[in-house]
Amino acid sequence: MRITAEAKSATRKRILEAATSLFVSEGWQNTTTRGIAQAAGIATGTLFNYFPTKEAIAASLLADALEQAGEEFRSGRNPENSLEADIFALIWCGLRRLRDFRKFLAPAADTIFSPLARPSPDSPGDAIRVDHLELVQSVITSHGLPASLPAVTVQLYWTLYLGVFAWWAADDSPGQEDTLALLDQSLKLFVASLGIDQGREKNGRQSE
Amino acid sequence: MDVNLSELLAALPEDDPASATNAEWVQERLREILADLTERPVPAGSLHRLWTLSELSGQIALAYLALWVRGWFAGAEVSQRRLMETNLRVALKIFHRLSYLRGAMTKLGQAAGNLPRLLPDQVTATLDRLHFDAPPMHYPLIREVVRNEFGKGPEELFLSFEKEAFAAASLGQVHRARLNSGETVAVKIQYPGIARTIDADFRNLTALLLPLRLGKDWDSVKAQFEEIRRMLNQEVDYLQEAESQRLAGELFRSEDGIMVPRVYPEYSGKRVLTTEYVQGLHLTDYLATNPTQASRNAFGTKIYRAWLRMYYAFMTYGDPHPGNYLFLSDGRLGLIDFGCVQHYGPEERELVRLAEKMAYEDRSVIPEVVRHACGVTAHDPDLGHYVRIMEESLDWMMEPVSQPGPFDFGNETHFQRGLDWFQGVVRSRHTRSHPMYVYWNRSIFGFKAMLYRLRAQIDVHQLLREERPGGWTG
Ligand SMILES: Nc1ncnc2c1ncn2[C@@H]1O[C@H](COP(=O)(O)OP(=O)(O)OP(=O)(O)O)[C@@H](O)[C@H]1O
Repeated sequence: MRITAEAKSATRKRILEAATSLFVSEGWQNTTTRGIAQAAGIATGTLFNYFPTKEAIAASLLADALEQAGEEFRSGRNPENSLEADIFALIWCGLRRLRDFRKFLAPAADTIFSPLARPSPDSPGDAIRVDHLELVQSVITSHGLPASLPAVTVQLYWTLYLGVFAWWAADDSPGQEDTLALLDQSLKLFVASLGIDQGREKNGRQSE
Repeated sequence: MDVNLSELLAALPEDDPASATNAEWVQERLREILADLTERPVPAGSLHRLWTLSELSGQIALAYLALWVRGWFAGAEVSQRRLMETNLRVALKIFHRLSYLRGAMTKLGQAAGNLPRLLPDQVTATLDRLHFDAPPMHYPLIREVVRNEFGKGPEELFLSFEKEAFAAASLGQVHRARLNSGETVAVKIQYPGIARTIDADFRNLTALLLPLRLGKDWDSVKAQFEEIRRMLNQEVDYLQEAESQRLAGELFRSEDGIMVPRVYPEYSGKRVLTTEYVQGLHLTDYLATNPTQASRNAFGTKIYRAWLRMYYAFMTYGDPHPGNYLFLSDGRLGLIDFGCVQHYGPEERELVRLAEKMAYEDRSVIPEVVRHACGVTAHDPDLGHYVRIMEESLDWMMEPVSQPGPFDFGNETHFQRGLDWFQGVVRSRHTRSHPMYVYWNRSIFGFKAMLYRLRAQIDVHQLLREERPGGWTG
């Protein structure tokens, strides 16, 4: 039996939807691949043709949301933004899109982005990392910085990003204002590490 | 830094043998904080200005970050890992200073810096350096804060919104905007996450102060800190500021030549305050226009009148610093910033009445004032000291009233005498007082400093005749 690409993508979509609602209602720990297959109306074996693990499903949700966030950022980008403001807007677009998934993303990200996992090209977390860093690199170059950043700088960025992500996932402050502040402070730190002066005066501080 | 750690520690009052034993960790904490203060580089650039005292959640975040990084480099070569770790350490050090939950502590530093009587001089001098400067916010961050408050970004909420701030506020910044109805407004926006740290920071601070052995003054200090905590919480809640501003606005008529910008409640929330935009000069810019003596007198009189009007309506304009007065080209005085207004309850009102009696009718009530205002009873060995302090304070306060004709507030000796009195109180540690005076003192010195810089000559008698409920007959 031949399965058309269309049918395939419909199934994939169904799995993601079923998984999302289970993750949200049952929690990350209590959701099994069998449960997801059942909810999607397919055999567990079929599910494995699409996603080898439930981490892979979560990673796929994450990747999709971040991709859309990237597009939203590109289309709404303000050419007057500083580098710091640009990266802030990019990251916050992603976090806003993921807001409803927050509760299950925290434990999921623990595995997807495990610091102990060796970077490997076929791990789903790694693909997200690569895509995101590419986008950030392109934003940085668009502000006139060298096309390739030192590995340490890239690592610092990713570390801060994950720290913000982890904080965000568990942040119950109103409007997640603590994450806003942490992201802001983290990006100040990162931009400072690039050794450029972004002209803070641009933000219009004016003393009496 | 011109004082070192040992000097700071030596400057603290002697340990109480009883409390010294159970408060080791507090001492340790104090030592750390002071060590951090002494090591702090001279502030240079906005990055360095953003630093903080340690905060638990900040520490956890740091530990978490460090863990991640170490994990990522588990398989890396040793040399690479070292490089990374060195880098990280430097980064974390900056991050520690940047730590994002720094608001209230520095705000407090500012308050305590203005209130030297609470703490040993050297510590106050150190705290004085903590004048808080909220980091500037770029537009994408502004947008999220506004969205949190109203569910809409500035573009949807206002007809137009200037992305660049036109002024800095102590905890945020101020943007010009236009309402759909056409009015130009000032939108004050608070840096996220600051307000909620105040209570925790005060708990830490109280724990820090415990072993300082403030003896019988402790209760008074505690009450004063409680008042600062309460006022800071009020200051960071822009809804309360809006209410104070509305109440104050009702006190003035157009013939007073004093204007309080109108508040737009539909565009205001806890972290965003929208008020009528006032076009005017700050003190320094006004003085730079070489105003005539008559103009300076007129503005000085309005500043004095505004203060009296609020005081007799049982409010202290708690923070009358130059940033909060605008000099309008048509001669009107603009009053802004009502975050720090104390509203007097029954107890404070009674104190005001008693103080009025002491000042204008009957000096023999001084011991009674001392009893109520400082909690010093007839049998207290310090009674004599407190009575003398009160007499001196009264003489200074009444100097402009006791002389015939207009009083020259540019008179250096008058202003200096007030400062000397204040320092004397601090030095002799006779600091017990009702918590209401914490802000009252700040208010008096703030507005007298304004009049001094204006070199204003003011007919105080005329003012009292017009503003004082009982008038003035002298
Ligand atoms: N309605 C207004 N019209 C014109 N300028 C304003 C207005 N409101 C605020 N500003 C400007 O913004 C500055 C800061 O505002 P405001 O004093 O309210 O902030 P704040 O956080 O209370 O600051 P601080 O505690 O340092 O006084 C003012 O000094 C003034 O220059």
